[in-house]
Amino acid sequence: MRDFLELAVSATASGCVYALIALAYLLMIRPTGIINFAVGEWAMVGAFAGYLTLSKLNWPYPAGMAAMLGFMLLLGWATERVAVRPLVHTGAPPLAPILALLGMLVVVRESVSIGFGPDPHQVPEPFGFAWQKEYMVGVTLAVFAGAWLFFERTLAGRSFEAVALDRKAAALMGINLPRVTAASFAGGAAVAGLAGILVSPNVSAHYLMGVPLAIQGFTALVIGGVGRVEGALLGGLLLAFAEQLTVRYAPIPAGYAQGVPLLLLMLFLVVRPTGLLRARA
Amino acid sequence: MKRLLAVGLLALAHAFSGGAGAQDTIKIGVITDKVGPAKPYAEPVTEGAVFGANEINRKGGVLGRKIELLIEDDQGRPDISATMARKLVEAGAVFILSMSLTPATQQQQNVTLETKTPQLTPSNSGDTLTTQINNPYFWQTGPLGSTQIATLLSHARAKNLKRVALISDNSDLGQLLARFFRGGLEKSGIEVAVEEVIPRGATTAEPQMQKVRAANPDAMFMAGVLTPENVLILRAHRQLGLKFPIHSSYNLSVPQYMQVAKGLLNGLTFVDAYDPDKPEVKQFEAEYQKATGKTPYNLHGYGYDGILLVADAIRRAGGPDKEKIRAAMQASSFAGIMGAKGMKYSFPEGKRTGFDPTGMVVRVYEGDSQGRVVHVGAK
Repeated sequence: MRDFLELAVSATASGCVYALIALAYLLMIRPTGIINFAVGEWAMVGAFAGYLTLSKLNWPYPAGMAAMLGFMLLLGWATERVAVRPLVHTGAPPLAPILALLGMLVVVRESVSIGFGPDPHQVPEPFGFAWQKEYMVGVTLAVFAGAWLFFERTLAGRSFEAVALDRKAAALMGINLPRVTAASFAGGAAVAGLAGILVSPNVSAHYLMGVPLAIQGFTALVIGGVGRVEGALLGGLLLAFAEQLTVRYAPIPAGYAQGVPLLLLMLFLVVRPTGLLRARA
Repeated sequence: MKRLLAVGLLALAHAFSGGAGAQDTIKIGVITDKVGPAKPYAEPVTEGAVFGANEINRKGGVLGRKIELLIEDDQGRPDISATMARKLVEAGAVFILSMSLTPATQQQQNVTLETKTPQLTPSNSGDTLTTQINNPYFWQTGPLGSTQIATLLSHARAKNLKRVALISDNSDLGQLLARFFRGGLEKSGIEVAVEEVIPRGATTAEPQMQKVRAANPDAMFMAGVLTPENVLILRAHRQLGLKFPIHSSYNLSVPQYMQVAKGLLNGLTFVDAYDPDKPEVKQFEAEYQKATGKTPYNLHGYGYDGILLVADAIRRAGGPDKEKIRAAMQASSFAGIMGAKGMKYSFPEGKRTGFDPTGMVVRVYEGDSQGRVVHVGAK
């Protein structure tokens, strides 16, 4: 029983990280239809922003967090302006921005690698080693509550939903499509950066941390469904529990449990491609 | 007039070629990983080799000729690595130093064997590099995985261990080391009660460490080479309140751990090929610091020893003739900065692994600092 309770806390904390990455994907996919695999690299940038402000410059945690969020909002906005908007305006096929963002993934990763070196860097916890998991869960729940309220209770959030349902109709209704797209990228980057700074005290800030997070977040998104904010949270938690319970209790050799997330991904893509939670009509 | 023009053209050609000095350099190829998974290790090893080459050139070069390093990046990919080796051979490299991943170094051997180009890896630890291909042009001076486990076991024998846990990551090298560790432990009559793997990119190691706790081992051996995943193991060890001692591969000798695993290291023992009390090491550290402003560590030492060993072989060969260099290299007896006090690299009886099997040490973390040597050799 002790093992299970310990594991429940551990899986919830890991699931929160996956859920935040899934939310970052969702914020961009819903209004634009663009899958941005660079979210993992954005999480990595968030982790390095944490390292720079909290470890190198010794800023207080709230100041470091605020600086990271501000920088990520700017990075997301700039990415949309540089890598997405020009392609959309020229009528490029839908795959073009996805490929451009994949290219940006490599540019971001190598820039960080050159700037900070290949070694991992330590990022401190705000409340010490013992409370990190609880902190991760608390912040994640607050973000999801905020995202839910934004989409369900505010006019701006409704305009995002309108764009997600029908871009042309939304434009005809006077919704500013470029602004919604830029805001979705800025928000996605900030949420991904938040995931990075939350997980970095555990895994350190290092230039190769992005791709695994991108895969885990995407799997969580597929499990939960792209239609609703709650789906990202549900998908992240389910994925983390499946991973960790398999490692701990499944009678299979060490190492085989690594296939569980990919099996889940394939299973959901085949059996229930819309994910567990479908979008509201 | 024509003669004057010819003289002028010759002078111009001479100027553009860099003069006689540049033509007379001895070209040594370096294959490293600048962007791939081996980058954290390959980069300091390469920096050590570059520092060594600069030092040799500052002292007049080899046989009056400067060393010119031709550095290529294979991204840690074996499929690219052989192409890089061929490119270096075609560019005139008389020796190739391999500092990328073990599988990449293995792949390069196809080219060095075919073109009869001497090749050395100063840092790879895979046991099979000199056994899978019978390549008389290839040598390895990085301490073998089996030497590491033998040294660790020698240290552990005194602790009277009966049942241990083994934990690694899912990288190629981590799995290779885990295999060597398992084989060595079982051969010594020590039961591997549980074996776990932390996948690259994991966010926790608690499920695996719970299984280790359930097996109740006397100690745990860490064979992983990925720093973030190793830190996860150490965090879980602390989080779950585990008390059994941890013995690690050389990977924990990388100084970065003192920063990223603060508060988690005290008492952990690790194999190293670097004795900070050795006078040669102290001198190397002082000179490196003076030249670069950075503090070197063991990985820099591998590259430094590698280039000095190659230069020594070329010197004894009397010039850049590849066949003569091969013979000189095989006859090497060279004391570098790596290894226990008094250790020399040599390749006796046709062997091509040059690190003395009794030349490694075991050190212990004291607080968050890499502390004293607590054990020497594998006896």
